[in-house]
Amino acid sequence: MSRVITITSGKGGVGKTTSTANLGTALAMLGAKVAVVDADIGLRNLDVVMGLENRIVYDLVDVLEGRCRLRQALIKDKHFPDLCLLPAAQTRDKDAVSPDDMIALANQLRAEFDYVLIDSPAGIEGGFRNAIAGADEVMIVTTPEVSAVRDADRIIGLVEAFEKGHPRLVINRIKPKMVSRGEMMSIEDVLQILAIELIGVVPDDEQIVTATNRGEVAVLERSSRAGRSFTDIARRIAGEKVPFPALDEEPGMIERFFGMFGRRPRGSER
Amino acid sequence: MSFFDTLFGRRERSSDVARERLLTVLVHDRVKLTPELLEQLKAELSAVIARYVPAADASGIEVTLLRGEASDHIKADIPLRRSSS
Repeated sequence: MSRVITITSGKGGVGKTTSTANLGTALAMLGAKVAVVDADIGLRNLDVVMGLENRIVYDLVDVLEGRCRLRQALIKDKHFPDLCLLPAAQTRDKDAVSPDDMIALANQLRAEFDYVLIDSPAGIEGGFRNAIAGADEVMIVTTPEVSAVRDADRIIGLVEAFEKGHPRLVINRIKPKMVSRGEMMSIEDVLQILAIELIGVVPDDEQIVTATNRGEVAVLERSSRAGRSFTDIARRIAGEKVPFPALDEEPGMIERFFGMFGRRPRGSER
Repeated sequence: MSFFDTLFGRRERSSDVARERLLTVLVHDRVKLTPELLEQLKAELSAVIARYVPAADASGIEVTLLRGEASDHIKADIPLRRSSS
């Protein structure tokens, strides 16, 4: 049974595209067939985050307007043949797409993939409405900042109004040291305010920047703490019970020890 | 903010400030009471109160949205003029 999951946030710049790319890759690593769809028409970015920008021939709008078949527009990932990207059009705007188009597209993708992850544009306007139209589930990305949490609250209301069920929350870019000093809202603070189910917490990690510089995703790098968190989220999406590890600034000694041999002890993964 | 500021209680922790500000903003967002509507509410409320309580000071009315434990509240604070007789 395939699932269409939209990743959205309200506020821009909180990590929707990074989350989509990492979760898509992590789900593919778990052996699933995954399509990631860039629904940010006119401001496409998922392609560059995944390092696939040079392979684009057709895009989402080309598919909808019948200039190519879906298969022709799907770009195979560099590492995982079962991971495909459907890029957004760069030269069009969101009005080139309707919610009905997105529902039809999602259904077409559903036939070929286990997971369809849709990267939503920021905002609460047409682009966001298009992005959630075909979704079975919604995941909301926020950072522990006043503006991002406020927008997440707004989006949660809209997602529920569109009858997309209860969205699940990713808290991104948390800085454990700042939280322990009382200089950043904690996971508990954010959860208490938003009152939705948490699916994962991703620590702030410079490796996200360096990986993205190269067009790679952090889940492929064993040393990336953010990458490990995204892998945990992917496993939770797949239905595994993965414990929420305590947020430490640095990996512990045991983890480092096992890290040298390229594997981690069971149950202490994060 | 340094450790000593926290120790001597000089400043509130910024995460607490963030949480409080966020809660206030969200009460307003969720109630969908815009600043214009709030002004209108104050004007109408003071007109009604003045009809029953002439000593009510319409200019001093304060309406605030409060976040409670279980539910949120609208609190209207209307000062009364003390008769100088």
